[in-house]
Amino acid sequence: MSLDVLAAGILAGGLYALIGLGISLVFGVLGLMNLAHGELVIGGAYLASLLVVDAGWDPLAALPLAMATMALIAYPLQRYLLTPLLRGSKSAPLVATFGLSLLAQALFQAAFGTHPKALPAAYADTGLSVLGVRVQTVYVIAFGLTVLLCAATHLVLTRTRAGSAVRAASADPDTAAVLGIDVNRVYAVTFAGAAALAAAGGVLTGVAQSFTPSSGLPLLLTGFAVMALAGIGSVGGVLAAGVALGVLQSVSVGLFGGGWRDVVVYLAFFLVLAVRPQGLFRKAHAG
Amino acid sequence: MTLPTVPRRWWPASALLLSTVVCFALGGVLDNGTLDLGVTLLCYLAIAQAWNVLAGFGGLVSLGAAAFVATGSYAAALVLVHTGLGWPLAVAAAPVTAMLLSLLLSAALLRLRGDYFSIGTLAIAIALQALIRNWSWAGGASGVTLPADAVPSGGNLFQLAVLVAALAMALTLYARYSDFGLRLAAIRDNEPAAAGLGVAVRRHQLAALLPSSGITGLAGAVIAFQFVVISPDGVASVSWSLNAVLMTVVGGTGTILGPVLGVGVVYYGLTRGLQSEQTLSLVIEGILLIGIVRFAPQGVWPLLCRAARRLLGPRPDSDSDSDSDTGRPVADRGKKDEPAPAGTEPVALDAV
Repeated sequence: MSLDVLAAGILAGGLYALIGLGISLVFGVLGLMNLAHGELVIGGAYLASLLVVDAGWDPLAALPLAMATMALIAYPLQRYLLTPLLRGSKSAPLVATFGLSLLAQALFQAAFGTHPKALPAAYADTGLSVLGVRVQTVYVIAFGLTVLLCAATHLVLTRTRAGSAVRAASADPDTAAVLGIDVNRVYAVTFAGAAALAAAGGVLTGVAQSFTPSSGLPLLLTGFAVMALAGIGSVGGVLAAGVALGVLQSVSVGLFGGGWRDVVVYLAFFLVLAVRPQGLFRKAHAG
Repeated sequence: MTLPTVPRRWWPASALLLSTVVCFALGGVLDNGTLDLGVTLLCYLAIAQAWNVLAGFGGLVSLGAAAFVATGSYAAALVLVHTGLGWPLAVAAAPVTAMLLSLLLSAALLRLRGDYFSIGTLAIAIALQALIRNWSWAGGASGVTLPADAVPSGGNLFQLAVLVAALAMALTLYARYSDFGLRLAAIRDNEPAAAGLGVAVRRHQLAALLPSSGITGLAGAVIAFQFVVISPDGVASVSWSLNAVLMTVVGGTGTILGPVLGVGVVYYGLTRGLQSEQTLSLVIEGILLIGIVRFAPQGVWPLLCRAARRLLGPRPDSDSDSDSDTGRPVADRGKKDEPAPAGTEPVALDAV
């Protein structure tokens, strides 16, 4: 086991954290398991591909636009479809996001075909030497951006009025509503924010590897694994969990070969769930 | 001459028995194309109904049906390929293996609440698919080819599928009319209250999970015989979980005939009707699923029942819809002076 493997794992973990952050934000605040999160990620990659593949943009230039577009798509989805369902039966929102994920896959297929796509960039395949360890440039950029976005999310949640509203709505939606917070709007904004984070993860994933309309599911599961590992629901926890998962995956690939990449992650995820059955968030009962 | 009074729950049971016998006999009559279609429909029905018992009656929304379809398929296939035992034993191996798997997983799964259970089952389905892909003894990613002359085909396979589907229907009837089912529904509706009244929560959930996964595994064995070539992308595909949810939710979760209707609507209307337009069919499936949970959360079957009741004319004491909301008929009212056939009796529509 070399340092290269470890470094690759840590850096790949950054991307997992970014994908997991959106999932845990939505679950932590809304109590909603979003089974369409993988499609939000892949959707971000496809949106960026319109600018990168067809118009020759750099993926990093397309990234903010993909994030904004995805947020705009996500806002009404939460406001007019998912929020009304949250008050209904327990399984309705889950089934609805399942349906959304289906629908999104079909739309990707119709719009972009089933062939694997990738976002070409100068830094997609080049290597970089950091302290004598060889790493892929794209993962370094992704990791840096993830840390940046995690820090931004943390600051927004803890230092702004909007962040206070989100935390209030998360802790006790009824009381928050009484205090004049428009909980439905907070939910929609949170969902839109998570979608923007997902889109960012999607663009970076698209540069690092190719994607197809059905690539969302494994990403979703990885994101859930991050959330399960992160436990407490802090943004820093999510980052740490992503890195832990990346290292675990990287090491298991080194030990057993590439085919076992996902098996190890899913099994780790299931074991964590089994050990912490009541959910790993402090606020797991809010839902 | 008066008919002996029969508890109402025996009507659906007799109807099931009769239709099973009729379908079984049809296995010797129908042509091969129809039989093949029938096997597909019956397998979907068994899987959807098994999911219905678990989710609709037990409140455990599983996304892991694919895991048990795959377990059943592979158990039957591997027994057939790697041992000299015949297909009946291969079929028997399927539910046993699937139930063993669910028993093994139940220790962890049944500790999970609500959405966590769903995600846990999804993780299992995907992990199993990834595992099979890497398992060379089971053919790895390219899968297993069954010896075609060693598996039942045509009429016999159809008859096997009829029995599996009948078993699933029987399980649903049991969940609907037995005291066990009543306690299961109590756990679904309010777990703390049910536990407080002395219902053994985990034991009841396990008692729903085991036969449900067993029947799903059985259907998997039939599917393996039908496909002849099975692969992780075929029998372990998440689309099995998806179809179970879709078909049941569309028809009516927690009803007995809802999944039957759902299988018909989804398979005939979408999967088959739009075979050449796969993307469009996926779009419609997605919209249908979202539309149903948003606008008709109880599914199509209860809606049809209500419409039928209105058409057939309301009886003085059945003007409210309350019985359809609870999923249970309002007592067994009027059964003594109502020896009419079940099909023409408006109030009974919900119950069957």
